[in-house]
Amino acid sequence: MATGVGDGLQVGVMERRQASSVLGAVAADVASARVLIVADQPVLRNVIRTACGASQHLEVAAEVASGREALDAYRFLFPDLVLIDVSLPDTSGLEVARRLRREVPRPKILVLSGRTDDETLFESIRVGVDGYLEKTAGVQQVVAALERLAAGERLITPEQERSAIEELGRLVRRAREASDILPSIAPREIEILEHLGSGLTIRQVANRLGVSTRTVEARAAKLYRKLDASNRVQALAKAADLGLIELG
Amino acid sequence: MVSKQRLGVIVVDPLPVVRAGLALMIDDRPDMDVLAEAGTAEEALEAIPRIRRSNVCVLVSLGFEGEHDSYWLIRTIRDHFPGLAVLGCGANADPLSISRALFSGADGFLDKSSDPVEFLQSLRRGATGEMVLAGPPTEWLGAIAEGIERRRLVETTLTDREREVLKVAAEGLTARQIASRLGVRERTVTTHLGRIYSKLGVGTRVAAIRLATDAGLVSVGMPE
Repeated sequence: MATGVGDGLQVGVMERRQASSVLGAVAADVASARVLIVADQPVLRNVIRTACGASQHLEVAAEVASGREALDAYRFLFPDLVLIDVSLPDTSGLEVARRLRREVPRPKILVLSGRTDDETLFESIRVGVDGYLEKTAGVQQVVAALERLAAGERLITPEQERSAIEELGRLVRRAREASDILPSIAPREIEILEHLGSGLTIRQVANRLGVSTRTVEARAAKLYRKLDASNRVQALAKAADLGLIELG
Repeated sequence: MVSKQRLGVIVVDPLPVVRAGLALMIDDRPDMDVLAEAGTAEEALEAIPRIRRSNVCVLVSLGFEGEHDSYWLIRTIRDHFPGLAVLGCGANADPLSISRALFSGADGFLDKSSDPVEFLQSLRRGATGEMVLAGPPTEWLGAIAEGIERRRLVETTLTDREREVLKVAAEGLTARQIASRLGVRERTVTTHLGRIYSKLGVGTRVAAIRLATDAGLVSVGMPE
């Protein structure tokens, strides 16, 4: 039964927790796993809440719509499972997951992503979530995943692992490239890049550094070659990708 | 990139029994065989140029220590034989060692604690250049990625001088002692340290040293 956070709830929660710990593993399949739903969209919450209600093994402890509320709710209710939408209004769902992982006791975390990119999956696995589903998976899959998590199953599939390792490979390559390139780039050139990155023109950079525009142009051209870029945009993108500068 | 040619493996491990075991496992498969074995980094670097096959993978144990340690060997192979696939091979290796191996240039990592079938499958895939990680649990991916990013941070944002200061600071010396060791003024050292903290995004010397240790810049343990 979904409920908000409040005084009257407190007693119920304490009894519940004491009861669960006394009954322990023997009662694991009798007591439903309690779920905290963290999602911004009301429609999504409703759909999931209803589906969880239909499940024998799940019980929605609470629903919240933001990251901040999620942490508060967790520390109050200590649900067994937390379902988190990756995109939340106040923070990233993965940041919430990261914080929840440090809680004691630690909940099982299922992340829902509206994106289909490898990076989000990789970041989720890095954070250490227990399951990752794309929203296209459908409600039944989400509920099934929650039930399996409650039963102690591992949800990260071999395909997801493979994809995450591939992404790790890209991270390694970029890191190595950065450290290979960097010795050949002077601090002055990084400075020029940073200024260009914040939107200054060549002339403005020249003024800033107290040199002629021709000097800046020449150094910039040299820099683009080192970065294997044919123009400023590419160079900035490459430099940011390698972690040499920060953009935006 | 699938090759019809049999995969040739060069086994580099300090322990003879391990080399023999790996050779048995590999020669048992129809699609791969051991081309050479090496017990030291030097032996490995002598054996590699003699190999005539094009589909080759070098398996480098992380057990080599000293000046020409495993990471040195991986980096050297990467620098001098860029087309060659190199895989790090550990025995219950920790995330830090794994991230160091990858950062040094290994195309992937295989742990001897993994299932032999998985080990060989990953060896095959790793030889084609695909990143493989056999043995370490998925839960370690975060720590491994962290180790690599820290290494990059330390290597790309710090100047040589700053790295030097950090290395000496890691020995537990005071700013004055560091200054004395490096032959500069104490003020210079504190300025450097301030810049280091800012670049690494940390607030204390302990945190900076921790980060540097994680990145493999300084090693924790008995000095030689």
